[in-house]
Amino acid sequence: MYSSVVRLQNTFGFFTTVAFVVASLVSLSDFLSARTPTVDLLKTTSLQVVKGRPHYYSSKKEEYAIIKFSLDADLSSLFTWNTKQVFVYVTAEWPSLGSQNNTNQAVIWDKIITAPSSDHLANIGPIERKRLKKSAGGKPIDPSRGKLQLKNQRYKYQITHPSGRIASQEDVVLKLHYNVQPWVGILTWNQEQTWGKWQALKGAASKKFALPALKKKDEGKKNKTTRT
Amino acid sequence: MASQEKITVYNLADLKNTSDDALTNYLTSLKFTQSHRLTDVRLALGYSAFLLSAACFLWDYKLGFESTKYLTAAAVAVYTILNSALTFWIFYVEKGTVYEGTSPSKSTKIKVSTKTNKNEPVYHVTVEVEDLKSKGGKKRDVLTISRPFADWFDAAGRFVAQPFQTALATGVPAIGEVDVKRVAAVTKKEEVGGAAAGYTPELLEALANAGAVGGEGDASGIDAKKGGKRRKA
Amino acid sequence: MLSSLGSPRQAAAQLMNFGLILSTAFMMWKGLSVITDSPSPIVVVLSGSMEPAFQRGDLLLLWNRNVIEETSVGEIVVYNVQGKDIPIVHRIIRKFGTGPEAKLLTKGDNNPADDTELYAAGQDYLNRKDIIGSVVGYIPFVGYVTIMLSEHPWMKTAMLGIMGLVVVLQRE
Repeated sequence: MYSSVVRLQNTFGFFTTVAFVVASLVSLSDFLSARTPTVDLLKTTSLQVVKGRPHYYSSKKEEYAIIKFSLDADLSSLFTWNTKQVFVYVTAEWPSLGSQNNTNQAVIWDKIITAPSSDHLANIGPIERKRLKKSAGGKPIDPSRGKLQLKNQRYKYQITHPSGRIASQEDVVLKLHYNVQPWVGILTWNQEQTWGKWQALKGAASKKFALPALKKKDEGKKNKTTRT
Repeated sequence: MASQEKITVYNLADLKNTSDDALTNYLTSLKFTQSHRLTDVRLALGYSAFLLSAACFLWDYKLGFESTKYLTAAAVAVYTILNSALTFWIFYVEKGTVYEGTSPSKSTKIKVSTKTNKNEPVYHVTVEVEDLKSKGGKKRDVLTISRPFADWFDAAGRFVAQPFQTALATGVPAIGEVDVKRVAAVTKKEEVGGAAAGYTPELLEALANAGAVGGEGDASGIDAKKGGKRRKA
Repeated sequence: MLSSLGSPRQAAAQLMNFGLILSTAFMMWKGLSVITDSPSPIVVVLSGSMEPAFQRGDLLLLWNRNVIEETSVGEIVVYNVQGKDIPIVHRIIRKFGTGPEAKLLTKGDNNPADDTELYAAGQDYLNRKDIIGSVVGYIPFVGYVTIMLSEHPWMKTAMLGIMGLVVVLQRE
């Protein structure tokens, strides 16, 4: 009994140590690959504010901003062997009354870009999956997926404010963000400052704009979380 | 009965533990007075650390994390200190001490520590002897004995007391003084046979089969009595 | 081997060794809690609502201090809802206001709708205090053991029993 238990313990211990060391090395390797994400274009193409209800049975009326935008960004350097997915999202940010900071933030659009190694995990239909897998051409890493070109992209989530008012809001800005999900290790987001081989994401914000005044139109039935 | 218990002879930890236990029993049978100072401090440190964590578990369970987090932080700090103290005590103060005590005549104090090295079936015994009678500065002696376990374990893994006790009594005068018979036995054997542990297979078999203490070959009446005590202990 | 339990001190020492293994593990967990300021600094993913980023059984390391900046949109947080036992791991998608009173809305990357339905009745937003940590580190698969253990309670008992036996019967 003694020797078998000890042998089992030793084997398990050794296995754990090796796994831990390999995982640490893999996650540390992230710092060795340069990240040079760029945003060439981020601008709004259409702005609209409508009145609606948060859900069908609600009697409360709220104002919803509907934003379309164009985006041209290259995030291909974020794809390395330890990248499982990159979550890209565009937020609208605007200040509150009497505040200089953008104290209101809302995601208007997002996209999960899986690395070819995690295509099998993506929540998509079989045909779409097949097409996605084919697009990688058998490569385990496909940086070309990080090239984003969106023209007149429709919002995914219309935005409002807890007060219910958003029409004529000034100083609104759109910002591009990303979140790199590793296979193992630390999660990272876009940076304001360059850190080692990882460059800051410059030009991630659009020009400031003002939302238009309310347009008389009821869109109450298909609001919030409308998917594209 | 202890001597009938078999251990795996390939298990160094078992060999050492059995020998350590026998060592304590042997010295106790010689009317040495054991001091439990080292063990008691270790137990006090260990159990206070354990009780602290038990208390921490209770208040965390009853009151939640948020309301008790500063107390928990303090408990973690104290636990770390207690646990480091325990580690320090085990590695730098106890240093493998298995027995500490004074001789029946209260003239010497001995501290026995033992160790084994990996993949080497040898029992390394270090005995610190302090002469309590000598005035004007403590007189300390450090003796070391290194003997293969094969000297007192038979092939089946049974412990044989006599050669073990002989090794100790011969190697440490402070023990030899009390147990003269064992010393004498070994000197005679060594003169005759020349080997450190000159036990014939027949003798070992006799010892193993004996079962009763009185069966030990050259054990005198006193030895038998001691042996009996050892086995019951 | 059992004879080593003969003396009360030795028995006490054996028991102590076993106790210290448990208490040290517990105190390490609490130490991590104190450092990260989170009641549960390591969590296991139980649902697929954050797929493909997180699968069931993945281990997440949390951080609950706001040293440089406030918890904000885009972060993946673990939060508790009043009256529900199981914490939820989702991404913050909206934040209105600043400080402890800021209103936060979350959504699972893999869910079509935001979490309003998951919150307590009458609750439209989360506050900072509902959050027990933001995800900072990720280790795949490792947490599956705990899912197995919680789904098959006998495994837990058996494992604890074997651990105890090994420690008590085996001296170093």
